[in-house]
This record gives sequence, structure tokens and C-alpha cells, in this order.
Amino acid sequence: MKDFIIEAENLSKKYRIVHLEGGFITLRDKIGGAISHPIALLKSLKHNTREDFWALRDINFSIEAGEIVGIIGGNGAGKSTLLKLLSRITPPSSGQVKITGRVASLLEVGTGFHPELTGRENVFLNGAILGMPKAEIVKKFDAIVEFAGVAKFLDTPVKRYSSGMYVRLAFSVAAHMDSDILFLDEVLAVGDAEFQQKCLDKMEEMIKNKNKTILFVSHNLPTIKSLCPRSILMEAGRIIADGQTEEVLEKYLEREKIKTIEELV
Amino acid sequence: MGQTIVIKPQNRFNFSDLADIWRYRELLYFLTWRDLKVRYKQTVVGVAWVLFQPFISMVIFTIFFGNFAKMPTDGAPYPIFVFLGLLFWQFFSASVADISNCLINNQHIITKVYFPRILLPISLVLTRFVDFLVSLVILIGLMIYYGFWPSLIGVLIFPILCLVSAMAALGLGLFFASLNIKYRDVRYVLPFFIQMLMFVTPVVYSSSILGKYSWLLAVNPLAGVIKTARSELLQSYDTNWLQFGLSAAACVVLLVIGWLYFRKAERYSVDTI
Repeated sequence: MKDFIIEAENLSKKYRIVHLEGGFITLRDKIGGAISHPIALLKSLKHNTREDFWALRDINFSIEAGEIVGIIGGNGAGKSTLLKLLSRITPPSSGQVKITGRVASLLEVGTGFHPELTGRENVFLNGAILGMPKAEIVKKFDAIVEFAGVAKFLDTPVKRYSSGMYVRLAFSVAAHMDSDILFLDEVLAVGDAEFQQKCLDKMEEMIKNKNKTILFVSHNLPTIKSLCPRSILMEAGRIIADGQTEEVLEKYLEREKIKTIEELV
Repeated sequence: MGQTIVIKPQNRFNFSDLADIWRYRELLYFLTWRDLKVRYKQTVVGVAWVLFQPFISMVIFTIFFGNFAKMPTDGAPYPIFVFLGLLFWQFFSASVADISNCLINNQHIITKVYFPRILLPISLVLTRFVDFLVSLVILIGLMIYYGFWPSLIGVLIFPILCLVSAMAALGLGLFFASLNIKYRDVRYVLPFFIQMLMFVTPVVYSSSILGKYSWLLAVNPLAGVIKTARSELLQSYDTNWLQFGLSAAACVVLLVIGWLYFRKAERYSVDTI
């Protein structure tokens, strides 16, 4: 029997879409509505204007330690929702996931960066938000700064940074985090071409270390192909295919083709 | 191999939450540090604003309530009497106001990273507590100026008074923060509510003006704190320990209710916010 580091069982996520007249729900509207249209309110309790939407439906998969898995699928397939569930940002509606090990989740670069704080301060703040212990940030501080190439502007508030410098620093903090499991959501494509290459190299270095399990969501098929030996294809909240990246990609492209033809017809 | 976590739909309050807070204590420190650091960026006098606000309030209340209205203070000079009240009141009201908006103000973080959400409100209380400690300088100055020596019990009870105020602020704030996720009305109701609450708290007046009805104030957690602070530090009357005990108990209840409510709301906060 193999050791699975991530095990998802019948994982589902339901969102409730409320069909509003528009605007925010306010207490006043509710109370006002109850007074002026009491009958309508009673009716609306019976036939409410809510609709259930399953962003994820019965997701089952297991990932072994050290696997690099790509997740692909069109817009609204549930890829990002899956990562959010795995990162504990939002709870599942049913089913469960077992995760063993320290998780780093990068759904966005620069989470928690504060524009008024300096580069140095933001490295510490961002690191802490991502879950790095202070001692680890101190240890890796020089490497982070060097990788981002912003040494000169360390004590400048990041609101004065160019957007390139900003994302470089942000990616650099994230890339230097120690973890057993890494969830990545399209964060690779930051900075100019040169820095993007640097990011890719860093990614490959992480992969070659063989001690990290990575789940990688992307629309960029060539990147998936070069980085992930295994892929999961999602569509409308379900897993359509799970296996060798080449086969999964083929299936994906085939389905896309059918879709395009259907649209044309 | 690290520890295994199981992510399930039902995730009620349990005691491992407290262990979780301990595990994330460094983040708590950084969040507090961030709020303190950011608050007075690009201001000229910086941290002096912390002293300025309660000081000016004290001066204005002294002129109007102390000199013109001649509020009874049970023997203490009005400035120090009102400042002691303001110190706790501002700590409490500012914390409640901050906490109520904490999930909304940090939604860019909570929709992207997991950490125990309760850290946000706790860090805000800590931030306001630092303000409180800074303002304490004025109180000490006033006590020296008017020649007051706190009783030994006064010094010992002071940290407990701070803790009770913090718990009350956290409890009420958590409740409002949870409501705020769904109903943005909270933002408009809250300033009004806090103002009303100030009238039923003996901040600018002494609870003794209510005569035999003063026990009614015991349900207001802050009333017990301010009354006890005055009686022990200014020694103008004997402390009603029973009343303070009731206030403290009310705070604990408030905190538990607020926490449970927040715990329930935070799970779906990301989907609703």
C-alpha cells in the first residue's frame, strides 16, 4: 500500500446563488419587505429565488508524496475552488480531504503586502501570512532579496515600487518557503520574460529536489507539459480525466475541439 | 512527516482552536505590528496622536461637565475622574469599531490564505491596547499632579480591568464582525450604537447619580470596570466587588457568545463577503 499525502473523498462544494433584485441585502429591505408585502414574503419562503450551484461535485483523487500534478480545465471548471478547499480557505459542503504535511498555498502573489510598508517589512509580513516562522524568514532574507533583485529599494515603501519589482519581491518570498506540499494557482507568470524564466527555473529546482508535492493550476499547457508528469482534467466541477499528462492533454484538446465545433454549428 | 489535517464540512468550535492560535502566535505579532506601523505613516506628529485624542476629550469634558454642569465625582477632581473613564472607554469603543470591520478590511487576505481568522480581531485589540498603555502616561501624570496614590489592590486589579475590557470589546466586536459579513448596515449602525452605549456607561458622570438604580449599570460590562478603576485608583468610595464580579461574568458570557457566533460565520465568510 502506498502512502498518500493528499486524499480527497467525494469532495463537493455547493454555492448558493441568490437571485437578487440588485444591490446589497440590507436589514431594512428585509424588514420593509416583510411589512409591506407579508404575503409575498411567505410565498418567497416557499419558492425562494435561490439556486444551488455545484462548483465541485464528488471529487476523488489521491496524491503520493513527491508527485507534481497539474490541474487543467476551462474557465469555471472548478480548479480554483478545488485549491481553495485544499488550502482551507473555504470549507467543503460535503466529503473530506486528508492532508499530511506542511502546506504552502500560493493562490496569488503578494498576499497581504501593505503598500505603506517597506520592502523589508513586507517580506516579514508576507512571510508570516504565508505561514513561515520568523526564524525561517530571517535565515532566508538575503536569498529572497537577491532573487527578487530589489536590494537597493529595501527600505522604500512598496507603493513606490514599479509593478515589476512588486511582483518579483512577492514571488520571491513565496518561492523561498519551506513546505511539504505546495498549491500553485497561475502565479508563475509574473514579471518580464527574463524573470519569468527565473521563476520557471526556480520551480524546476523545487521539483528536482523531489521532496515537495505540488498541485499546479494553470491554463498554460506547455508549462504543465514540461513540469507535471501527471495531470487532472476538470470540467463543470467534476474530474474528467486523471493520469499521464500527455494523455490528459490529448483528451482536453479533443474535448475543446468538440466544443468549438458545437459552437460553430 | 508532518501532522495530518482533515478538512470536513462540519467544523465546530473545539479546543484545538486555541492550540491553533498558539501555533500562529508569530502571525498575531506581525498583524499587530503591521497595524501599529501603518497607522501613523505619513503623519507629522505620529504616535503623539494617541495622546492627543484622550487629552483633548478630557479638556473638553472638564470644561463642560466639570466646570459648567458641575457633575458630581464622589470627591475626585473632574479631570482625573473623567480621564480614567475615557481611558477604558476609548480602548473598548475603538476596539469594537475596528473588530467589526476586520473581516471586510482584510478580505484580500482571507480569500487567499488560511490562518485562524480569530487572529485578526485579537491583533486589533492588542493594537488598541498599545494605545491604551501609551495614554496611561497621561493618567500617571494626572495622578502625580493631584497627589493620588493607588491602593495595592488597585495596582493588582488594574491588569484584570484591562483584560475584562478587552474581553468585552472582543465579544461585542466578534458579534458585529459576523453580522457585517452579510449585512453591511453594521457600518452605519455601529457609530450610533457606540455613542448610545457611552450614555449608559458612567464615563463622563458617576454611577452614583443614579442613586439606588445604579445597580442597573452592572449589566453593562464597562460600567463595572470603570467604577472599580475609580474606586480603587482614586479611592473615593468602596469597591462594590459583587457588582464587578457580575460585570466580569457578563464579559465572559459576551465573549463566548461572540466567539461561537464568529466561529460559525467565519467558515462561510469567504463565500459571502
